[in-house]
Amino acid sequence: MFEQFGFIWQFYPQILQGFTLTLEITAFGVTFGLLLGTLLAVGDIYGNRVARTVIGVYVELFRGSPLFVQLFLAVYGIPAIIHIPINHYLLAFLIFGLNSAAYQKGYMKGAIEAVYGDQMDAGLSTGMTKTQTLLHVILPQAYRIVIPSWTNEFCSLTKSSSALAWVGIFDLTAAGVEITGIYYVVLPVWIVIGAIYLIWISAMAKVFDYLYEKWKIPGIELNMQ
Amino acid sequence: MRLDIWQTLIYLLEGLPLTFSISIIAFAAGLAIGLPLAFIRVYEKDASFVVDAYEKVFRGVPELVLMLLFCFGLGYYFPVPFANPFFTAAFVLGLRSGANQSQIFRGAIRGIGDEQLIAAQSGGFSKWQAIWHVMVPQVLTYSTPGLGSEYALLIKDSAYAWVIGVLEIMKRAELLSVQTSNLVTPFTITLLIYVAITFPIAQWLDRWGNKRKKKMGL
Amino acid sequence: MTDIVMEARNVCKKYEKLEAVKNVSMQIRKGDIKLIFGPSGSGKSTFLRCMAMLTMPDSGEIYLGEQCLTKPGTDLNKARARIGFVFQHIYLFRHLTALGNVELSLKHVLKLPKEEARTRALAALKEVNVSDCINKYPSQMSGGQQQRVGIARAIARNPDIILLDEPTSALDPELTGEVIDTLRDLAKEGTTMLVVSHEMPFAHEVAEEMIFYDQGTIVETGTPEHFFNHPNSERAQKFMTRIIKRTMRE
Repeated sequence: MFEQFGFIWQFYPQILQGFTLTLEITAFGVTFGLLLGTLLAVGDIYGNRVARTVIGVYVELFRGSPLFVQLFLAVYGIPAIIHIPINHYLLAFLIFGLNSAAYQKGYMKGAIEAVYGDQMDAGLSTGMTKTQTLLHVILPQAYRIVIPSWTNEFCSLTKSSSALAWVGIFDLTAAGVEITGIYYVVLPVWIVIGAIYLIWISAMAKVFDYLYEKWKIPGIELNMQ
Repeated sequence: MRLDIWQTLIYLLEGLPLTFSISIIAFAAGLAIGLPLAFIRVYEKDASFVVDAYEKVFRGVPELVLMLLFCFGLGYYFPVPFANPFFTAAFVLGLRSGANQSQIFRGAIRGIGDEQLIAAQSGGFSKWQAIWHVMVPQVLTYSTPGLGSEYALLIKDSAYAWVIGVLEIMKRAELLSVQTSNLVTPFTITLLIYVAITFPIAQWLDRWGNKRKKKMGL
Repeated sequence: MTDIVMEARNVCKKYEKLEAVKNVSMQIRKGDIKLIFGPSGSGKSTFLRCMAMLTMPDSGEIYLGEQCLTKPGTDLNKARARIGFVFQHIYLFRHLTALGNVELSLKHVLKLPKEEARTRALAALKEVNVSDCINKYPSQMSGGQQQRVGIARAIARNPDIILLDEPTSALDPELTGEVIDTLRDLAKEGTTMLVVSHEMPFAHEVAEEMIFYDQGTIVETGTPEHFFNHPNSERAQKFMTRIIKRTMRE
């Protein structure tokens, strides 16, 4: 069986191609999710009832159902409904981002609320508008607090990106499917693929933990008791 | 083949028992694994690296890849449990849930604090007796919101099982979409079914947990 | 041209069970140093927050100079730029240094260029004697230092009036002295101040008028000598006795 591991080495190009795509989609999803998630969190805290209801429904739909279902509906369903073929990658990336935003909204909202009360009062008392206070006082603090949750989201997102293989995206899992499909080498392939995911995610988690320590506001954890 | 909405709905709902079985078994397995792991991680420093490694693996490898690995990979050598997709799905998700629940309980143990344990030990309990009689009930109550969301997560992740052939909701939707050449209807209904089952469960567990927390003065 | 800096007319504010502000009126003229004191929970802080429109009054009017702040459509941010507020729990911007805390509103509210904002901020910090802390973060400073930065943040914009909500109540007793000294210096310079506090040393030395506030209303006003020697109302008498006893014990 061990010769089979060596056999896999021939598939280095596919694996690399798939891995690159996994990286791209994760990077996009996590960034898009963070930005949109912030907007949604702010909208949820500030907005009127209509905005909050819309956001609530959006979050409930995306957080309440599996990513797989969302992907299929978007990638295969939307072009079918509007009778125009749309690039699979575009739709898959978009749904992935929207899915992440629904979860990140929750983390951002928690971080903002942890900072909010007194800092908003302090900002207003100096004559700044709500928006200025949000931009210059609350969000800078919230973004630093949210890093641990965001790291979790990053790991989660990378893992769930494996579903994209079934909507025509050639990611790392898809590479695995292809290799096991053509050659009768199954267990070693999945062990290798699993190991690549594991090493990548563990390494990134360490990086983010380091960045969290580096960018932490001095004493912020003491204040968060 | 043409199906009307009701036939579609019924066919999809027939997948619910499998969805629920997978998630409930996985949740129970996760509880049985996660609770001891959490206490070991906090109270037995020597063994803590084992727990860390376990959590790292499940944080770092996609559930889908694990299912494929066990079902089609190991299943070749050990068909007895692993070639069965239902078993493999529940197995993989159970292990994953153990890692998540270990983290949830760890947070609860830290939140409750050491005084409880010290108080119990001063009354004559041994460390593990104290843990079982005093900490565990409080930890479980404290953790209900986290557990609620973990359970909702398991229901959603049960959808991964379609890839290895379990005839749960998502697989049924996929079959329908192929046979009726209509993808939107079955999948939209599927989405709504999932939302309908995750929403109340998490809410209910949350509320029950908060009530008990208040009673316990946590 | 009136020299009334701020005025409250018939202000009311009610919370679910508590009438914090019951028809309170007050005038503050330029250079006044007034102290509001009274039992805790009587609504003093709520009233002060209403003055700065950080809490919206249910009814009544608040005037800043000629401008009526309670009128709908007023630009409250511009108004608050002319008011300096110091909080009981300080509320410094945690992610900024002392210098950053003071500069922030100079840059974004007064829209001063970087250099000028920095100069003014440094001057304000010097005035409150925390020049050695300018690059420290709030968590690295003592409570007294933090509160003095809070005062610097309030005075940097040269506001028309400074409102202080129990500036020393959250501090350890040893640290209150430095804050009181700072307030004394400000008073000497002719700053208009409205302070909510039960710091009797400050009241005695610096305040020109003391206002006894209890259960939502102003019960009695007078000079410090009046209150320390012979208050009129029974409630004020009881309160002063208790406070003086406590201060003497310390």
